[in-house]
Amino acid sequence: MADYKGIKGGKVQNFSTNPPAPIPGQVWYNETTFSLNYFSSSPLGSWATGNNINTGRDTLAGSGIQTAALIFGGTTPPASALTESYDGTSWTEVGDLNTARNGLCGVGTSTSSLAYSGEAPGAQVAVNESWNGTSWTEVADLNLARANAAEAGVSNTSALCFSGITDTLQLVNESWNGTSWTEVGDLNTGRSYGAGFGTVTAAIFAGGLISPATPSNSALAESWNGTAWTEVGDLNTGRYHNYAAKQSATAGLVFGGHNGTDSLALTEQWNGTSFVEVADLSQVRYGLAGAGTQASAMAVAGSRAVPAAKATEEYTSPLESTKTVDTD
Amino acid sequence: MAKTKQYCVAENWGKGFINHDESFRITFRGLPGNVWQIPANNKAGNLWISKVAGAVKTKDEAQTIVTAEVTKAQNAWDADNVDDESSAEKIERLGSKPADITLEE
Repeated sequence: MADYKGIKGGKVQNFSTNPPAPIPGQVWYNETTFSLNYFSSSPLGSWATGNNINTGRDTLAGSGIQTAALIFGGTTPPASALTESYDGTSWTEVGDLNTARNGLCGVGTSTSSLAYSGEAPGAQVAVNESWNGTSWTEVADLNLARANAAEAGVSNTSALCFSGITDTLQLVNESWNGTSWTEVGDLNTGRSYGAGFGTVTAAIFAGGLISPATPSNSALAESWNGTAWTEVGDLNTGRYHNYAAKQSATAGLVFGGHNGTDSLALTEQWNGTSFVEVADLSQVRYGLAGAGTQASAMAVAGSRAVPAAKATEEYTSPLESTKTVDTD
Repeated sequence: MAKTKQYCVAENWGKGFINHDESFRITFRGLPGNVWQIPANNKAGNLWISKVAGAVKTKDEAQTIVTAEVTKAQNAWDADNVDDESSAEKIERLGSKPADITLEE
């Protein structure tokens, strides 16, 4: 029978404690715990539960990273102005939006965010608010009031607002420079409730609702190069009400949503060329928010069959951990 | 047919309820009513149920809990109307009506 040395060219090393910096695939024997261990690395990543938010809601917006995030707006119902801040462990209520609304866009960090567009009770709005780490201040409105648009951007001085719905689905794309909104190149296909990620000069728009009457979901993805939108590789599963970890146009993560029949747990990773399916959320949901990066993302709140879930999940990829060989 | 899924009721307390290692080993499906579906005959799944003090349910018991929650959500969706709103506008505002969920054996 072949032994480990015969296969791998080296013996299994003995350690009194687990090695501090193992490499993926390394195998060792722990003399203290009498266990055979290995270091595993999975490119698929995984979702783990995070602590619940204080007020359950859906169609909210999020910004920031997994250890310093912000969520704002949404509907409980009714439309909410609530903002909560996350420090990596727990959620704390902080300063409210000036205009309660849902179906809004949000970009930035926990200390520099922008909340714009959305649906206030009875009206779609062009309202734009800037977060400085403490409070929201109204700044210059969008040119086009709309709801359920998608977003890209990195701070309260740099953002895009594209597509969404007024009376009809919109192709309009606007760029924010910290002072005013300017209309820039239109999308090819108008959609609402799609997911956007990236920056003002390089963004992706994926999925969305293309016919509310049906309703008909879309798998379409378009790429923005700072001047124009081009169709790129579709999502593997068409959906709307999905959300994205949106720090980069070359490394996004799209998760959750609804396909017109069912809520989804599916997660897809954008590698700059195409979407690849990775680990599912543990709870299906749509109308959720998110934060973070492709390697370290958050999914927050949203509807399941029961509206306005409070649950959060945290994604890590690649997933690297020490595992013990199970001999049972 | 052999049972492929098992069910329990457990309230998600947040961080640590499902950790990354469990998520990697177990395919979870969180359902309304704090019902969790995980693979049957799975050691990692059984250990997780024990960790979260999950109340094990048969498929039929779990189905009853889930259906009650879905029905409540469907009724809330039906009752949430705005004057002169078309069905398309309602879907745009609220999302699709919560669908029935049928659990697997």
